[in-house]
Amino acid sequence: MQNLRVAVDVGGTFTDICIMDEDTGLIRIEKTASTLDPIDGIMGGVAKAGIDLTKVALFSHGTTVATNALITRRLPRTAMVSTQGFRDVIEIRRANKEDLWDVYKDVVKPYIPRRDRLTVPERIDSAGKVVETLDEAKAREVARILKKRGVEAIAVCFMNAYLNGENERRMREILLEAMPDIPVSISSQVLPEIFEHERFSTTVVNAALSPVVVSYTTRLGDRLAAEGYTRDLLLLHTGGGVMTPASVKDFAARLAGSGIAAGAIASRHIAGLCGYPNSIGLDMGGTSTDVSLAYEGQSRVTKDWYIEFGYPIRFSSIEVLTIGAGGGSLAWTDDAGSLRNGPQSAGAFPGPACYGNGNPQPTNTDANVTLGRLGTSLAGGKVTLDPALARTAVEEGVAKGFKLSTEQAADAILRVANANMSDAVRLISISRGYDPRDFALVAFGGAGGLHGVAIARELSIPVVIVPPNPGVTSALGCLLVDMQHDFSENCMVDADVAEPIGIEAQFARIEREALDRLTHEGVAERDIVLQRTIDMMYRGQWRSLAVSTPSPIGSIADLVADFHREHHREYNFRRDDAPVSFFRVNVKAIGVVPKAELAVHAPTGVRPDPVARREVWFDNQAHDTPLYQRDDLPCGFTFAGPAIVEQVDSTTVVPPGATAAVDKYLNIIIRVKG
Amino acid sequence: MAGEQTLDPVTFEVLKNSFITSVDQMGEQILRTCYSFVIYNHDFSSGLHDAHGECAAQGNQDIAVHVGTLHFTCKDVMRAFEGDMHEGDVFAINDPYAGGTHFSDVRLVRPIFSEGKIIAFAQSNGHWSDVGGSVPGSFDVSAKDMFREGLRITPVRLFDKGVFRKDVANLIASNTRDPASIIGDIHAQAQATQVCEREILRLVGKYGRDTVETGLSEVQDYVERAVRQRIAALPDGEWETVDFIDRDPGGGEGMIPIRIKMTIKGDKAIYDFTGSHPVIGTIYNSAFGTTFSAVAAGMKTFFPDLPLNSGFYRSFEIIVPEGSIVDAKWPVAVTGFLMPFEKIMNSIYEMWSQLMPERALACAFNLEYLLTGGRDVRSDDKPIFMFYDWLPGGWGGRNGKDGANVTTACFGTGMMAQPVEGQERANPILTTEYEILQDSAGPGKWRGGVGVRKTSLMLAAEDAVISYICDRECAIVWGIEGGLPSSPHGLTLTRAGADHEERLGTIFSDVKIGEGDLFSRPTAGGGGFGDPLDRCPAHVLEDVIDDYVSVQRAAKDYGVVIRAIDVELCEYECDAIATQALRADIRQQRVAWARTDPEGVAARFRSGEIDALDAIRQHAVILDWGTGKLLPESTRQFRETFERRSVANWAAV
Repeated sequence: MQNLRVAVDVGGTFTDICIMDEDTGLIRIEKTASTLDPIDGIMGGVAKAGIDLTKVALFSHGTTVATNALITRRLPRTAMVSTQGFRDVIEIRRANKEDLWDVYKDVVKPYIPRRDRLTVPERIDSAGKVVETLDEAKAREVARILKKRGVEAIAVCFMNAYLNGENERRMREILLEAMPDIPVSISSQVLPEIFEHERFSTTVVNAALSPVVVSYTTRLGDRLAAEGYTRDLLLLHTGGGVMTPASVKDFAARLAGSGIAAGAIASRHIAGLCGYPNSIGLDMGGTSTDVSLAYEGQSRVTKDWYIEFGYPIRFSSIEVLTIGAGGGSLAWTDDAGSLRNGPQSAGAFPGPACYGNGNPQPTNTDANVTLGRLGTSLAGGKVTLDPALARTAVEEGVAKGFKLSTEQAADAILRVANANMSDAVRLISISRGYDPRDFALVAFGGAGGLHGVAIARELSIPVVIVPPNPGVTSALGCLLVDMQHDFSENCMVDADVAEPIGIEAQFARIEREALDRLTHEGVAERDIVLQRTIDMMYRGQWRSLAVSTPSPIGSIADLVADFHREHHREYNFRRDDAPVSFFRVNVKAIGVVPKAELAVHAPTGVRPDPVARREVWFDNQAHDTPLYQRDDLPCGFTFAGPAIVEQVDSTTVVPPGATAAVDKYLNIIIRVKG
Repeated sequence: MAGEQTLDPVTFEVLKNSFITSVDQMGEQILRTCYSFVIYNHDFSSGLHDAHGECAAQGNQDIAVHVGTLHFTCKDVMRAFEGDMHEGDVFAINDPYAGGTHFSDVRLVRPIFSEGKIIAFAQSNGHWSDVGGSVPGSFDVSAKDMFREGLRITPVRLFDKGVFRKDVANLIASNTRDPASIIGDIHAQAQATQVCEREILRLVGKYGRDTVETGLSEVQDYVERAVRQRIAALPDGEWETVDFIDRDPGGGEGMIPIRIKMTIKGDKAIYDFTGSHPVIGTIYNSAFGTTFSAVAAGMKTFFPDLPLNSGFYRSFEIIVPEGSIVDAKWPVAVTGFLMPFEKIMNSIYEMWSQLMPERALACAFNLEYLLTGGRDVRSDDKPIFMFYDWLPGGWGGRNGKDGANVTTACFGTGMMAQPVEGQERANPILTTEYEILQDSAGPGKWRGGVGVRKTSLMLAAEDAVISYICDRECAIVWGIEGGLPSSPHGLTLTRAGADHEERLGTIFSDVKIGEGDLFSRPTAGGGGFGDPLDRCPAHVLEDVIDDYVSVQRAAKDYGVVIRAIDVELCEYECDAIATQALRADIRQQRVAWARTDPEGVAARFRSGEIDALDAIRQHAVILDWGTGKLLPESTRQFRETFERRSVANWAAV
């Protein structure tokens, strides 16, 4: 009987394993140290958790293997073959910098050095016509040289190939004749979209990652199979779905941000169960915070993303904004006497001052300790916090300079930190036309519960949800996903001359491909859902806006009306008299994986006693505050702030004025204004 | 003098960051809704001003060239509409003689009211695709005054209490080549200023009007205090330099000097442009506003962490001679102000490199801007096309680090290069080459970054003309601390069927081109930093393997002897003994090379014995690169600076 679902989220420090019993809906968490070869950590964790892999129905996994390979450049030797005259597209990029003013801060080097970028004579024009056929003799010469160099992966990137992949396909044949076992990615297949740098960059990442992730998933799959797992290993991709190893070889770049999306998915799902289709996820850890947004049950998706600035990966990705603010962020005073917070962090070591590892500067954690919001131990006693060291750091680092009391200084540190995070949330919400008052904030990660209510108040978000296991919520996200692939193609035509029949045919063709891929991965046709969107813009604009589209697409007039409405929501103005253009058609193909239900608890009527009381400071006043153990809090329990809830992986602060209730999934739901 | 802070530290920090976020939100909005492809590629800026028009915050992603100009235009709008501003009003201005940049940069200014009183202004500035004038794109280098350049917009009301004044907007749009886009950009920019208004009013709701007003003023004091403290920590002293514009097209041979003397005294910096050339007979003149901006942007490079606002601008003073190239007055043509602008910026890099050696930087390549327009006959209705293009190039070598390769021009590092595929779709152009240009980098212990070359073929078009705005084919991008210059700019054209190329150079306007004509533009690399004979041979070897540097120039410029073993395997080796000998030999001779008779060098160039890079890097000689004719005055001027920047820093033999 296979009744277990297992999700593994491998992070830099910890490997989190989330085990769900389908029969009871109960979830169990195992946390183990990450290992040099992540697979050892996973298998070790599986053993430690006592999981019988023969009983596992679904094993899904978010991995940072691809992300790390890119950042460290520990990539297989990868070559690029491009159109003669265009050897340097991925090095010229868009030529812009991320930091506009620091001339000593450079954009990182491209993934393939110039020496391994070769060119061949060939050319397609802007109408998709072959104006120069591939010079096959030169192509063979390139293949011979690359073979001699022993390259392990190749990207073929030709100009205008998004319109016609003929020359690229021929080039691939020639390369494969010489090197049958080498993965060759061609831009017309990986991402048939206009703009050479974005397409080439995505193709290069795809080629370079292919050997990395194929080897990784094969090894992990083999280890799992050897221990009795009989199904497909499911890999979380950046788009927020999973795919099987069958797709990994051809679409390796989709795993470039695997793991980034898990928290966003978990946040969306939990908020949905609580009745909030609109939610903002705030995953706050030690050094950084990930912010995501779901609207009407859908995560916000972007194609504008990268692992490193300058090298776009143009696959749909769940939009996650990472900011350099976390529990370990340092508070400091700059040379003009202003109180600052982050982005520098004390990191895991030496960590906050109260860790006692020699860092004298105050961090957010030290401020929380000073105010009594954090106790004297973390992670179930694995880390001891020294309040005296925290106080000294706050006094020396902030209080003295600003002539504040220690508690006032700690409060100031946290208010600056919370305001910075609120600004980040504002960028992803208000500035995109979403009103935070319609949202719930899901606060998780080790430090989410400490700051959640303060940030929600700053943003006028009425409700904060703290999930049962805030520290491992991301792993839960890996359990809640469907199989998913994203397809897109340009469809550049003005709305006033567009023919619905042509667009419908384009959608139909893409959808056939989508069905094929999901079927190939073993998804039954009845479980497949296809979602269409069209990217549109006012003619002459440079950025497009995705608009959901019915199937079949219906009238052009309806699509245009939808676009005007969406433009108004997002940008607060519309131009009804201005002509509209189509830019791109997209299909999201979902293979629905039946979700196990999370366990539902009934109210017990039990009112647990606080395990202790202590003095906690809010708004520069000391409050005698009850301290609860999270495990003691039953469904239906309600309590008012001030209160502190402690658990192994996190601490939740319910400040004065707020009220909290434990719901049937054991989430703490906090109404911030009481 | 900067006032003391009265706000508590938390409120202050929160307001400071929220002001910047509110401006960044304007930037986000404009990027997503704009019509001008120039704006889309990041030629825009946004500002939040206090009730006096002073700049309280600029955005994180704003283009450098608008820095230090927004408060001038805000104040000009205030002057024009004093006592006549209302909620919902939005004004436009693009006047370079009132502190704007050039006519293409159109600013929309919205007063922000609280309880009936103006508490702030939001300003959105973007480069429109066209503002009329005699040539597509509104850059006519033959203009001597503004009447050929484009439409001058002195302060004008575009929205009246929230009502869009179609009549005024249409008048403006109708004077351009792209009216539909102009109306679109007016809406996009006006809406962006409303985003800022919404955020400021949110802050007023939370903190109160007085606190927000105090914050707008104290964030300026904060920046002023920080800059002054850092300047005060530097030694007092004087630094001087000169940089050049290639020529006055209306004058004789010889480069046009821009001189700057910088004085650091206590907590203030003073920049004196005395000795700079009078205005010249083309569009390469700078009005006071843009001269001010160039100084601010150059200096800001050495304070990368500080926010930008009027507090920064209060830390320095500028002295400009009346009627000089850095103080052009109406109606002198100024659309090409970026040419003097970049000279000023690089001069400031050079002087501050001596003050802050840990952030030293040699000269960057010069911006270049190509404008081609005509009718696209690929479709039957022969629409007007406008192919405007700008290329990245190399930045200067740094102290302990090579210069940045292929990066946008220093006037705005957020500016993006355009995708060829987009250009080919929109214009009858086929690009045949867009690659890094080998040997373009200025040699040095830390070489400059590499430039590129782009070559494009004109397809079927009618009435097509080409204009080019560039510089530094004479005032070659220079090295510092013994580093060498890089390479000359300049466009070459090969007519359909012709067997040779014509050199059109760096500045020309309205040249007819037709189907089958091929034009090619190199950009320079950055100048070198430090003596190239001190460059680690292993670094030269790596550059050869990646084809950044040729085997020949590795020997000539660096004295490093490299032999190919197996090119197919990228295997080369450096001959250490031969390198030592060659370096000793170059050391012996190079000072004499740099002082050798220029006419002789020109003759050897014409005979093909030496090339342009030899003439520049070994002999510091400036020629007409098309004919090989010596430019004696330019050479004299160039050699003067070469002696100071390069020769004087070479260790004695």
